Amino acid sequence: MDLRSRQFASLYRHEISNGQLRSNLSKATLQAVDKRAQSFQEVDFPFLQKEARNIKREAISNLNELLSRFEDNARRNGCKIFYAQTPEKANAYILGVAQKFGARTAVKSKSMVTEEIGVVPFLAKYGIEAVETDLGEYIVQLAGESPSHITTPAIHKSRTEISRLFHEKIGTELNDDPAFLTAEARRVLREKFLSADLGISGANFLIAETGDVVIVENEGNARLSTSAVKVHVVVTGIEKVISNFSDLRIFMRLLGRSSTGQKLTSYVSLLRGPKGEDETDGPEEVHIVLLDNGRSNLLGTEHQEVLHCIRCGACLNVCPVYRSIGGHAYGSVYPGPIGSLVTPLYFGNENAPDLPFASSLCGNCTEVCPVGIEIHHQLLAMRHEIKSKSGTSVERFIFKNYRKTMLRPGRYRLMSKVVRALARTSLLRLLMRGWYPYRETPQFPPRSFREMYKSGEIK
Amino acid sequence: MMEDDREKIFASIRKGLRQSERYSAERSSKSPLLDKPGPDFLSLFEKFRSELKTLGGEAVSVQDEAEAFELINTRSHANEALFIYEEIKSKYALLTSSLSERKSVKFQPEFSHGYDRHEAAKFKGVVTGCYACVAETGTVILRTAMRLPAALATQLFVVARGADLRPSLDQIFTEDTARFGGSNLFLVTGPSRTADIEKQLVTGVHGPKDVFVIFMKS
Ligand code: SF4
Repeated sequence: MDLRSRQFASLYRHEISNGQLRSNLSKATLQAVDKRAQSFQEVDFPFLQKEARNIKREAISNLNELLSRFEDNARRNGCKIFYAQTPEKANAYILGVAQKFGARTAVKSKSMVTEEIGVVPFLAKYGIEAVETDLGEYIVQLAGESPSHITTPAIHKSRTEISRLFHEKIGTELNDDPAFLTAEARRVLREKFLSADLGISGANFLIAETGDVVIVENEGNARLSTSAVKVHVVVTGIEKVISNFSDLRIFMRLLGRSSTGQKLTSYVSLLRGPKGEDETDGPEEVHIVLLDNGRSNLLGTEHQEVLHCIRCGACLNVCPVYRSIGGHAYGSVYPGPIGSLVTPLYFGNENAPDLPFASSLCGNCTEVCPVGIEIHHQLLAMRHEIKSKSGTSVERFIFKNYRKTMLRPGRYRLMSKVVRALARTSLLRLLMRGWYPYRETPQFPPRSFREMYKSGEIK
Repeated sequence: MMEDDREKIFASIRKGLRQSERYSAERSSKSPLLDKPGPDFLSLFEKFRSELKTLGGEAVSVQDEAEAFELINTRSHANEALFIYEEIKSKYALLTSSLSERKSVKFQPEFSHGYDRHEAAKFKGVVTGCYACVAETGTVILRTAMRLPAALATQLFVVARGADLRPSLDQIFTEDTARFGGSNLFLVTGPSRTADIEKQLVTGVHGPKDVFVIFMKS
């Protein structure tokens, strides 16, 4: 994976000045937020959220037992299990499987973990073409870009841009009708499905009780990537395991609603091993690669709950920062509020020191999170960790005094007078020059609310 | 095959978990649905029908197999190949014999292990039975020994009986279902869809564009 989160400051400056991007993003995210809200009207969201949080908490706090159980049951179903600590190890294993089957083409369905390990460019080095089959992923693959959203990878692109891209790369006529563009992608990809030997997918859930792999999607590409091939490789994180099959009644009602505002996604595939003796098609072998890559280091820390994430993308859609800068600015496959946690936590604070600061801490993310992760509190804790180790002396001075000010009313009153006076000069603009080019700040009133209230000016 | 990192990962998990409490979740049996359809077939069917309709699919209730055939025959494209799944043959003799008189019809047993995938892609329509249907979401559940035709076709006809209809996902995700046989269970909810281009909905991406569910009264 090409991690560029250290360059966050320059990346977001570039993205934020792109008006087209901001308009694409705001249109798409606002629509997603509306649809989500509507879809939760028929169900008791607080109840589902509480149940989901508890089930995930149970799963993560018993991870070794659940993984062992999953492993036993999946093996009994005929699957092969491989644990990989690093992306390199996971990729090497997948390559081995591909070579065993002589695969030249692989069809891949959308999965964040496969982005994390960079399996597509890795296989390409060995002459194996791995084709993205989700429409959004296919678009970004053709453009040579990375996804900019967890569930809507091409959210940053307009139909006109996509039409031009298809024209250049696959020779379609210039037509920006989404139905036309989708039909063209279907035409090209259908042939890939019918000729590929290897299918690569992620997993939304692994069920310890039954050894099932659960994949949720809308287009039918994951169903084909896992059914039309000789061998299917599932690549997923160790944190995806949950205890019971019946727990799906909670997660299935949350996932579709949270990600796309659907009561249930068009397809839920419950996959239990390779093709049976009495079955005519389906993969001859199913391999499940369970990736750690920093996840187990979160256990026992205050960030353990970050492992509860089911990657629905709801926190991205409601985040004012994500809406302004889009996914690429984060320089990581995991963007948005959850990405600002996962990226430094999985790949090291030193590789993404600015991401936990890419938040207004408004708490919208926490409110919509279907598994109740306290995202904004987590971000605050990460800031504290990062700054306690690396803050400059000026920052330490400011925050120390800020704390004192907030704790002492007299000092607070004095400081607010100073800030109001400063606001009337150009000094504040000079001090906050990073802020002003992009936003307006409301005028400070000459007197504080308290003073106005005391004098009877407001009642 | 190369050696994996199981032991290292488990050691790391154990080390981390030593510092955290084990937690066991109490699961509530309460249904999260605020509005539940009545238990009789008619209310369940109405709910199923309206959910599927919202998604762009269609559910109809027919008297008998002759009516089911009429429906499939008029809705499918007369000259295009139709694939008939095994359950239809084993459960609905009259429907099967009517369908077999159509042009370009193939039955599941005519295919054997290792068949050419391009063959499966030739069918524009498939007729299949189902494991269950869910009124809450307009979902049909397929469990099949031959996955591809139903995943590739443009038109999916599902023939169901009233008894197949369950009120909600609560009745689907049970211990009983957990024991399903075979390698797969697919929950299909309306046509295949995407909104990846400017959030505009387009149906019929890689899976069926038309989903018809026919409930047999008799
Ligand atoms: S943190 Fe919560 S809202 Fe964000 S992607 Fe994960 S589950 Fe969804």
